[in-house]
This record gives sequence, C-alpha cells and structure tokens, in this order.
Amino acid sequence: MSAKSRWADDDPETEAIVAQQKREKEEKRRAKAEKQRQLEEKEKKKKNNDENTQAAINGESGPPKKRLRLSNDPDAPPTTAEVDQQDRKKQSSLLRFPVREWGPCRHVDNFERLNHIEEGSYGWVSRAKDINTGEVVALKKLKIENSPDGFPVTGLREIQTLLEARHSNVVYLREVVMGNKMDDVFLVMDFLEHDLKTLLDEMREPFLPSEIKTLLLQVVGGLEFLHAQWIMHRDLKTSNLLMNNRGEIKIADFGMARYYGDPPPKLTQLVVTLWYRSPELLLGADKYGTEVDMWSIGCIFGELLTKEPLLQGKNEVDQVSQIFALTGPPNSQSWPGFRSLPNAKSLRFPPSAPAPSSSGSLPLLPRSRFPYLTNAGLGLLSSLLALNPAARPSAQQCLAHPYFREDPRPKPREMFPTFPSKAGMEKRRRHHTPEAPRRGQEAPELDFAGVFGGAPGGDTGEVGAGFTLRLG
Amino acid sequence: MAPNPGLKHLSNALATPDQLSNSSSSIDGVPSDLETSIRCAGVQLTQTAGILLHLSQDIIAQAVVIFTRFWLGADGGSLRIYSAKDVSAAALYLTAKLSFQPTSPRSVLNVYTLLLSPGASPLWFVNPRGAPKEPPSPDTYVLSEGGYQSARLVLLRIESVILRTLGFDTHVALPHTIALTYLQTLGATRPAVARRVVEHLNGALLSPQLLYVTHQPNALAVAAIYLAAREEGVKLVDGEWWEVFDVDREELGFLVVGMKSTEGFMRAEAERWKNKTIPMVVDEVEAELERRRMMEEGE
Repeated sequence: MSAKSRWADDDPETEAIVAQQKREKEEKRRAKAEKQRQLEEKEKKKKNNDENTQAAINGESGPPKKRLRLSNDPDAPPTTAEVDQQDRKKQSSLLRFPVREWGPCRHVDNFERLNHIEEGSYGWVSRAKDINTGEVVALKKLKIENSPDGFPVTGLREIQTLLEARHSNVVYLREVVMGNKMDDVFLVMDFLEHDLKTLLDEMREPFLPSEIKTLLLQVVGGLEFLHAQWIMHRDLKTSNLLMNNRGEIKIADFGMARYYGDPPPKLTQLVVTLWYRSPELLLGADKYGTEVDMWSIGCIFGELLTKEPLLQGKNEVDQVSQIFALTGPPNSQSWPGFRSLPNAKSLRFPPSAPAPSSSGSLPLLPRSRFPYLTNAGLGLLSSLLALNPAARPSAQQCLAHPYFREDPRPKPREMFPTFPSKAGMEKRRRHHTPEAPRRGQEAPELDFAGVFGGAPGGDTGEVGAGFTLRLG
Repeated sequence: MAPNPGLKHLSNALATPDQLSNSSSSIDGVPSDLETSIRCAGVQLTQTAGILLHLSQDIIAQAVVIFTRFWLGADGGSLRIYSAKDVSAAALYLTAKLSFQPTSPRSVLNVYTLLLSPGASPLWFVNPRGAPKEPPSPDTYVLSEGGYQSARLVLLRIESVILRTLGFDTHVALPHTIALTYLQTLGATRPAVARRVVEHLNGALLSPQLLYVTHQPNALAVAAIYLAAREEGVKLVDGEWWEVFDVDREELGFLVVGMKSTEGFMRAEAERWKNKTIPMVVDEVEAELERRRMMEEGE
C-alpha cells in the first residue's frame, strides 16, 4: 500500500518548475539586496556631502560634532535643515508614530456657555468659552435618550471617527467632556463662524465659479481623507459643512458616520438627509459604499451653483421622481442590476422610455438647469449624480478632474470674502431642511409605482416627473 | 522623520510612565502582585467570554486592551471600587458594539454568569476543581430575569465609566494583521510560522509587562515574528530587517524577552493560586486584603 499522500507531487516536471521559481526568487532577492546596498551607499555619500557643506558653512572643519541643543532658545530656532541633520545623525531613519495618551474626561464646567447655535438630529450645539484658555469653542451635547443598549453606538462612532479624522477640512474634536449625570456627554470642537447652508441663504448672489472650486476642492479633499481611513460620512449636506472667515471649510456632524470594510458589512439604508440621499439608498440597498457620499457631493455642487438645494423631494417617492426627472430614468445599460434592489420592484416605467444610447459615455444632465457651468463642470456634476453608483468618481478621481484646472482657477482661500456670522452672537433661524433619518426606525416599505406618474402610490398627488406625459 | 498623522489607525495611545508607576488600586492599598494577578485573570476571563460569544479575535483583543488601560494611572479604575468581572464584561460589550459583530447585553451576561459560576466554570481561577466532567445543573449558571435586569444596569453603568475613564478614546490598533503583512514582505509564508506569530501576539495580551499599552503594534508584530521564526527554525533575511519595520534593536530585544517570559509567568500564577480562586469582584478583593492582613498580624 502506498503511504504517499496524493497531494505530494513527484512529477519531475513540477519539481523542475518549482526549482526554477526558487532560482528566480533567489535572484530577485539578490538584486534587491544589491540595489538596497547601492542606495545606502548613495545616501551615505550624500550625507557626507551634506555634512561637509554644513561644516563649511559653519566654518568648521573635520568631522562634524554632535551638537546637542541644551536650551530652547527662542532667538535661535534651528532651521529645518539643521533639524534634519540632527535627526539623521541620530541615525533615526525609523518612522515615528504620533504620540498619544489617554486620560479621563474633564468636566463641562470648564466651559462657559455663550449662546445656543442649533439643534441637530443628534444633539444641541452651543458656543462656549474655555475658562482656562479663553478660547471659543463649539459644545455639542450628545443626545442619550435612555437607550436600552447603553451608550448609543452612533455617539460612539461619531467620537471615534472624529478622533481619527484629523484633517484640515474636518472639524477638529478637541476633547469629550462630561456633566454631572452619567448621561451628560459633550463634544468640544473648534468653533467656526458659518455653516454653508445659512451662508447660501443669506447671500444675494451665489458664489463665483472660482470660489465654488475652492470650496468643493476642500470638501472633497476632506472626504478623500475620510474614505482613505475607511470612514463613510453618510450625512453630507450644506448645513453640515462649516466655514470660517478665512475661506476654510470643514466637514462636521459625524452622527451618521461609521467605519466600513471590504467586503462591506450589512448597513442600514436609513442614512443621509433625504435631499442628499442617493438613488441606491432610496431603492433600499443594504450593501453600499462611499458612493453615497459622492452623490451628496453632487447635490452640494449643484446647490453651490444655484444657491438652492438641487433635489427637494417631499418624501422618498417624490425624491426618486425628482432624481429621475433630472437624470432621466435608469435602464439596464446605465445602471446594471438596479432592478434587483428591494424597492425597485414597484417602479413602473413609462412604456415609451427613450431608447438608451448605446455609447458607454455617461449621459449629461440637462444644460438648461446649469446655464453658467462649463462643459467640464457639467461633466463632473453629471458623473457625481450618476444613477449607477459604480459610475460615480471616487473622491480622489474627483479631485483630479479637469474642471478644477481650467479657468477660472480656484480662488486662493485668503482672497475669500468674509460674511457676518449668524452663529457668532445670534440665535439661529431654523431652516426647512429635512433631518437625517433616525436610527432604529423601521426602513419604510416604499411603493414607487407613482414615480413616473399615472399609477397610484405616490401620495403627493403630483404628476410625477412629467416627461412621461409629454410622451403620451 | 516627523510623526505621520496618517498613521493614526496603525498606532495606539500608550501609557505614560506616570500611569505605569501609579495605579488607582495601588493608591487604594491593593498590593501590586495581587493587582497583577487579578488583571491577568481578567484578561483570561475576557478572552474566554469572547470565544463563547463567537466574537472574532480582533474584537476580543481590543477588549483586552481597553480592559488593561482602564486600571492604569491614578485616574484609572480601582479594584476596590470596580469589580474586574464587570469591567471585563463591559469592555467586551463596548468593543463588540463598535465592531461589525455587535452582541446583546443578554448574551454577554449569560456567558459571564456561566464563567463566574463556582460550580460550572471551566476557568481554573474561578473553579479550581476544573471544568466539571458531567454537565452541571443548570441552576448553577442560569441568569434569572431579575438577575439579568440588575446585571444589565451594572453592565451599562460600567460601560459609561470605562468611556469616561479613557476619555472616550476607544481606538485600538492590533498587531495581528500588521504581522501577517510583514510576514509576506519577508517571504516567510509557512503557516506554522504565521500560527506561532499569532499565538505569541495573543499570549502577549496576558503579559505582566503590559506590552500592548507600552509598545506600538508594529513593534509587537516584529517581535512575534522574530520569536516565531527562531522557534520554527525558519531563516529570515540577513541584516537588521526589523529596522525596515521601524523597530530598533533595543525595543525588539525587550519585547522578545517580555513575550518569552509570559509563559513562565502564567505557570507561576497557576502555581501560586493553586486550589484558590482569584478575586474577581470587589468583595472578594476586600476579603483577600483582610486575609493578608491577618496573616501579617499572625506572624
């Protein structure tokens, strides 16, 4: 009886191949080592040269001595070159990690409440002053309604993602402080004078094209960072974009944010404020990704252009019909697989829907809606508002879009106009923006039969998107 | 090189020297050897509970790190105020809640009731007679509805306490996946090595030197690889390969010694507490302190 495993290969040919592979690997390794050595030599030479020039500048000769800076003399700050040099001398080519510690929460009494700013879906925000430093901050109280599962996971995620998302275009969470009761938890964040929504409401004219580019680049830049950290925001809208008087804009309100993974975990579709919610969410997808944020970016882009929210649906059904009115209805070419989404079954399409263009290029949005936008701009907007999530650009692709490189160029931040701050002293007016969906709600069973008019189901009593009637 | 802020998700907040030298428990008069024993038993309790809850090891390991951080420093938790078993349960519940595998308070408390039952527990420091041979009677480990309601309140309260003590920083980066990436980079793909690496990393969770709160995950990964390759007789590349992964020789040496000593430490613990239980609740800690006081006076 043969004791040999049937997996053991005794085939001489296989063996030869394996040996060949091994040789190749060995050779590669050797080549790599050689390259590394050469690199090191080069580095050493360069270092020597650097040191020599440095020594020559300092009027020293011979091998440079290790210089220890003993005092923090503010008059003689080391130049970056010097710091570099010192680092290299300590032969620390090793990467250093950001040094962080942990400590208990401070008490909210370290802050003096100045004025109330607004109430969002996840908490109350007020302007406050740090009693010790005098700095003005925004204080956000987390809502903890006696939840049966302990500390609400949304609040935990908001803190966790904000602590992780240190970026110049993401609002800075300084610390978390607590009140007297176990349930009193406050986020201490940098205070910014405006939010984009209020600003747009107060402005007579929309932003200039150059200003829109600066704003959009910053928002998408922040979003790119978030996505790179595996964070989805899931509630991007103009009222969650904060602006200061130095032309800087920051993404705020991470109450809906969470980590995602690859493969994506099952997620709730009850995210993103209705007007900024992507079609796949409206059609009930429970597997989705960062594309939902890109759709919101498209809505924000449109809002920056016209000063008005782009798609102001009264409810989910109306929102879907408004989307299709803008983009045209989906078909299996432009959005493969949309039919299998839970809520798509009730969609009844107009019988004589225009035949899809067979060319693979994305259909452009109607130019009449955005008369002052360049072709590149319209192209970008159309791709962000593509019905098919896979057709939307990533944040990174968006940043590289030609729209941002053509004239007029993005306006430098320092050239940005300033505006009187509403949040600064006065109580804020409430706006008629729908709120982000609440966690724990049942996902609604939606009947989209009325999206294209005709069939019952749409409870708006309106005539759907309109274009079917024109065809009829 | 300046610290790179983009590396935050690969790094951890570390304990300060102050936090390592002063614990809230030691200020309250708990001898450090007792504190170490309880903390180590708490880690084993967390690990076992995580397995029974079918949580993946990364969640369990994160919970252990949160549990470990909680007791450190003068501002940390004291064993005379908080029961180790409650902190263990809340850390596990909290970590699972933030992960892709949340679990319910009921499941967590069921598991902890079983693990802390003196008759039914398989844990040597709770049930020194060892896991019962025959299935124990259910009423020794079943959590009644009334018991559940009060235990749930404790669980949720301790969750809040942990969050406040840690300043709501729940981020824990683990070395496990980093180690696998390094192994691939080094071309050491033998499953036996990888398994040994993961064993060392999980073992280090028990380390009395608290390696997970004193060293960054990349260093832990490198040390585990170094040890595993040695033990499995696998030759890695020549030269100081650990520097490629940003670990210097000194740190590597310390970690290797620390990881290797964990096994001996655990054996000594088992010997020291033979036929005795390790106090996992405040009352038992008080009783142990009283017992020690009596012993001292008796001598």
